[in-house]
Amino acid sequence: MRFWNSLISVFSVVLASLAIPAAAETYSPRVGERHLNFTLPAIDDGRPLSLEQLRGKKVLLIQFASW
Amino acid sequence: MPVWHNATRQWVADGKLTVLGITQEQHPDRCRLFSQWQQFDWPIVWDPINSLESTAVPIIVAIDEHGIVRSTKLRPETFEQEFLNVTFRDDAPPAATTVADANNRRPAKPDLAALRDRAEQSQTARAFRDWADACVLWGGETEVDAAIKAYLQATRLDADDANVLFRLGVAYRLRLDSERREPADFQRAVEHWEQALARNPNQYIWRRRIQQFGPRLDKPYSFYDWVDQARREIAARGATPIALTINPAGAELADPARAFATESPAAESPDPDGKIQRDAAWLIQSEVTLVPSRLRAGGTTRVHIALTPNAVLKAHWNNEADPLLVWVEVPKGWQVSQQRHSVVPPDKQETSTEIRRIDFEVQAPADATGTVKLPAYALYFVCEDENGECLYLRQDISIDVEVLAVTDKEESQ
Repeated sequence: MRFWNSLISVFSVVLASLAIPAAAETYSPRVGERHLNFTLPAIDDGRPLSLEQLRGKKVLLIQFASW
Repeated sequence: MPVWHNATRQWVADGKLTVLGITQEQHPDRCRLFSQWQQFDWPIVWDPINSLESTAVPIIVAIDEHGIVRSTKLRPETFEQEFLNVTFRDDAPPAATTVADANNRRPAKPDLAALRDRAEQSQTARAFRDWADACVLWGGETEVDAAIKAYLQATRLDADDANVLFRLGVAYRLRLDSERREPADFQRAVEHWEQALARNPNQYIWRRRIQQFGPRLDKPYSFYDWVDQARREIAARGATPIALTINPAGAELADPARAFATESPAAESPDPDGKIQRDAAWLIQSEVTLVPSRLRAGGTTRVHIALTPNAVLKAHWNNEADPLLVWVEVPKGWQVSQQRHSVVPPDKQETSTEIRRIDFEVQAPADATGTVKLPAYALYFVCEDENGECLYLRQDISIDVEVLAVTDKEESQ
């Protein structure tokens, strides 16, 4: 939680520094391009969820860890 | 994430926004507990193998109704104006969708048998990797052996795929945390994570997986020190905290440190002359894992010792007597964070068969080299079988630490 608190306070700066370098085999979402689709299990019941099924909705995609 | 959760709650309630979380944590139930504690009301998916190949978290991306990325540099205070209230046109080239994507907005779990057949027929590293990925994500405990075999085959076909090495480590750790565990699963997990990270040292998802179990000097923060607080606060709300399959302990709770710390005052060996009878029948099986698996002279490693009652012999802990003790000797020039360890039985049961784990840190002297054996032993009350004889026994444990020589170049830095 200490990490989160400090991170949140400087969120925008940190986020900019976390921009993923353009390299093969890494996640690098680019503004103006379609986000890659994925299908992964939900943590609560394992049901498959995909980005594609949210088409038609505005989505905030958050990759995070509890630590 | 609490800031974004609070900022977006009303927009989600109004139907203006959908939030989707992704976590790369090894243990999904820990993220569930965190989500319950923080009262996240949006779905979270599990990507322990990091199939998206993200290199760090957090990452937050705004995606419009056409699936097009509109921002990766978001601020809650301008989010509505810059994203939610904007009407976007579908102005990006069409994505290379798969047949499954195009036909199925409601996705199904992949067909593991079909992926296996494709891998065996094509004999390509990518096909074996795809099969293994699906086994980890969708197959549960019963498919973890298949996942490991498929990842191993993928590494034979393409030894340079660092993603496969990391994912193989994830699979070994998954098996360790299951009833299908095999000896050395934890050490194999660590070694494969290390091999992956050596190929791509900028991969912080992978680095964090090692640091989670590693020494305090290498930790960026405590990974799971929030768990107790979360449980208390959830219970205070009148809810039942989500149960964890594996409770975080030791290294996963430890705070970072800037200097190697040892206990004070030093403890005394409980069996200095080795008079207590040895566990010749291996009623208790011990396993040592080092994180990192090797260290530089002067470096530190976290030693994990697991002690498991022998299931074949139906051995079990006797909890009515003294608790399990582990004692670690300190070779000359070495430091050990804690020499004497005690494990209290769970829930005051008279007997039990759980795995008992302790972990601590050692630091090598600056002139150490080669493989150094750190002597240790465990003392425990164990029973041979149901209604069998209970004995107080000692097991000698050798902690073999491989110390890598510091190169001239490293020394001059």
